[in-house]
Amino acid sequence: MALSLPRMLPVSTTDGELIQRAAGGDRSAFELLYQRYARPVFGLALRRLGDRGRAEDAVQETFASIWRSAGTYKPDRGPGAPWLYAVARNAIVDRARNRTEIPADIPDEPSHDAGPAEQAEQGWVSWRVHRALEELNEREREVVSLAYWSGLSQSEVAEFLGIPLGTVKTRTRAALARLAEILGDEFE
Amino acid sequence: MSFDDIVGTEGLSREEEATLRRVHELLVAAGPPPDLSPDLSLPPVPAEESDPPEVAFLLRRRRGRVAVLALAAALAAFVGGYAFGHSKGKPAAFTSIRMVAMHGAAGAPAESHGVINIAEKDSVGNWPMLVEVSGLPEQAKQSSYYELWLTHNGKAVAPCGSFRVHGKTTRVRLSVPYALKNFDGWVVTTQGPDQNGLGPVVLTT
Repeated sequence: MALSLPRMLPVSTTDGELIQRAAGGDRSAFELLYQRYARPVFGLALRRLGDRGRAEDAVQETFASIWRSAGTYKPDRGPGAPWLYAVARNAIVDRARNRTEIPADIPDEPSHDAGPAEQAEQGWVSWRVHRALEELNEREREVVSLAYWSGLSQSEVAEFLGIPLGTVKTRTRAALARLAEILGDEFE
Repeated sequence: MSFDDIVGTEGLSREEEATLRRVHELLVAAGPPPDLSPDLSLPPVPAEESDPPEVAFLLRRRRGRVAVLALAAALAAFVGGYAFGHSKGKPAAFTSIRMVAMHGAAGAPAESHGVINIAEKDSVGNWPMLVEVSGLPEQAKQSSYYELWLTHNGKAVAPCGSFRVHGKTTRVRLSVPYALKNFDGWVVTTQGPDQNGLGPVVLTT
């Protein structure tokens, strides 16, 4: 059964409101939550599990958990994003625990990988940033992606998009300013 | 790439520059968002509100095709289950909490399909299942049979019971003690007396 895209809810509906609506069985709210968070959950799962197939399953399990446990969300305890992050992290940790592979060798050298606390911090930052990117319009998201992750210089981005370099810079600044607005609490 | 390369500072107030610089650092720290595969393009499908949570989602891939099969199979299972439940040798009631649809694997008859109805785990940890398969050819030999398996990473790893088929549709009750969440699918294989190990897969999720 394919679900229709959620068109009925205003974009400004907060995550917390969507969770509460989902708790009441509102599928449109659930679908909007999925639109907002599928990519952040997938990113978090990929980072933790390192395998696309397992990460995809973790996304499904996360949203199954969200649907099941939406009723336990208490808006007076905080906004929706941290609650969703906790649900996702638990689902992903559960999946990671199911791994049965045992490392063949114990490394002699101490690992230079980030420790658990750093990993958690990185995970949360990525979660918030990827979630915020979903709020940008198509043109803003495109220019940010090209500028930061394509390896192209801003001149090459301008050539690629067929727009003046000045427009690329203006659009990039506008996109970053919008992200700053969305990521408000990251600046506190 | 640096802040100066991407954003630049020309014409920005000190405050604006500080704000954009912070966002720049967060973007660099976060890295690119991953591409979603087509399997994740739509959310999982919540079931009717009255259903228990476990049946609320189709966790398997190929959701669209499976959903169509599931719908057809559900109707058949309902009708069949009613007849099954009201036959003379009336077995204990079977209340499905989760349904998994299967379709024919490569090489299997085109019309072959199946559905696994799973009931609530019993008090000692077994999952009762009502398995219904259709379109599979009857066994060529008396000692041939079909076997249901749970898969992990696409490989059949845990046997869930064997059965023979007769006629167009066959329903059998099986039970497994495994933690189902540790597996990623199901397959049915054909097994025969000449078979060493796993036989060919005829149904898969």
